[in-house]
Amino acid sequence: MNYYLLFFAGIGVALLAVLAWLSFSGIHRAARGDLGSRPEREYRHISYLPQIKQSLGQADYEYLLARGPAGLAKRVQKERRRIALHYLTALRTEFERLQHMARVVTSMSPEVAVAQELQGLRLNVEFSIRYRIIYLRLVSDIAPVSAINNLSNLISSLTVRMETAISSLGESAALAAELGSPHNGMNPG
Amino acid sequence: MESLHAFVKSLWAASFVLQVVILCLLVFRGHFRSLPFFTSYIALNLCQAVLLYAIYKRYDQQSDFVHTFAWQAEAITLIAKAFATIEVLRRVLIAYRGIWGLAWRLVTFTCMATLLGVVIAARGQGDWATMEADRGYHLIFATAVLACLALIRYYRIPVAPTYQIMLAGFCFYSCMKILANTALQEFLYQRFTTSGEIWQTFSMSVYVVVLVVWAVALLRPLPAPAPQDAALPPFGYPQTAPELHYQLQAINKQLMNFWKMEEPGS
Repeated sequence: MNYYLLFFAGIGVALLAVLAWLSFSGIHRAARGDLGSRPEREYRHISYLPQIKQSLGQADYEYLLARGPAGLAKRVQKERRRIALHYLTALRTEFERLQHMARVVTSMSPEVAVAQELQGLRLNVEFSIRYRIIYLRLVSDIAPVSAINNLSNLISSLTVRMETAISSLGESAALAAELGSPHNGMNPG
Repeated sequence: MESLHAFVKSLWAASFVLQVVILCLLVFRGHFRSLPFFTSYIALNLCQAVLLYAIYKRYDQQSDFVHTFAWQAEAITLIAKAFATIEVLRRVLIAYRGIWGLAWRLVTFTCMATLLGVVIAARGQGDWATMEADRGYHLIFATAVLACLALIRYYRIPVAPTYQIMLAGFCFYSCMKILANTALQEFLYQRFTTSGEIWQTFSMSVYVVVLVVWAVALLRPLPAPAPQDAALPPFGYPQTAPELHYQLQAINKQLMNFWKMEEPGS
């Protein structure tokens, strides 16, 4: 078989596949979060962080292992894994909401910085890949137990950071929401 | 002319009629005011068809003169096609000045990168220089249009169905031409004596399909161009975008920490 033929035929088919994907796959706007929605809904998971932290505490787990009936620690471990998954999902929601906001800001700006946008794209790709790998590892139960236990420490360090981020984003969100309404209702083209 | 297969002739006639229909739609529905370059592209295609018909009728199809004339005429329509596509893209992105600027840079980069790839791949293919150039053009064109479509999708910019169909039609035709030229050069030519006819039949069939879709799409009224009335002030982006990207980076970093934490033996 001619490699030249394979190379260009492959490129042609790949371009057609991309065209089909871009043309026929719908844009899931709803899943990306609406800028007009109430902020408290978007930050709901943040308000439960203390409880999540408590549920993932190492001390509780060790106590159950030593004093609890057989199987209880395992059940708790399973619950912890579920919580870790929920946490990941929340992290993803937060990321997508911010990204949506960034896109709206970019699409409404008369001038944009290429480097800034490339950084956003790179972050998006990195986040998507990591998210899927971690999610798969958690779902398939191949994540080490220590990782799940250590999640509480991670969440502790995140709490302060996220709250600071959210407060600083308040103004940006309000601005984007205000500007987002006419943008979304604009005539196509 | 006689040597052309009857089916190719009928496809040629069909494409001519369809282009006349599209030109009529553009003129009588007033679309030519919004899409002057696209109108010119269709008009040039019609002129090309008429000229080629006359030339084929008078001269031998295999002669150098006919070959050179046909490819020169093709080059003109390909340039017109590029302008028509830029025009449609501009109509889509006119309300998004920042994204339009980004699209220009992306198109330039994509064209340069693809051109480099095409030149490297075409080395030592001297006998097929014209076909290589044609395929190279379609490859660059399709890649650039797809890059712009991806950009439009990434920023969730609404596109009127008519413009979407026009861009997809241009891109689809170019992708099929890449496949047709590759098949002719690497496969059909060595195996079939009628390879030229097969190539023409395939190319013309695809073009007829694209023309039908365009004609249907142009039956709808074109949307009015929307000004960027809800734009951020010039200082809005430099103030907001770095902050948002910083927050995105922070969340990504948390996920990265989670990833590192999960590494066995950590």
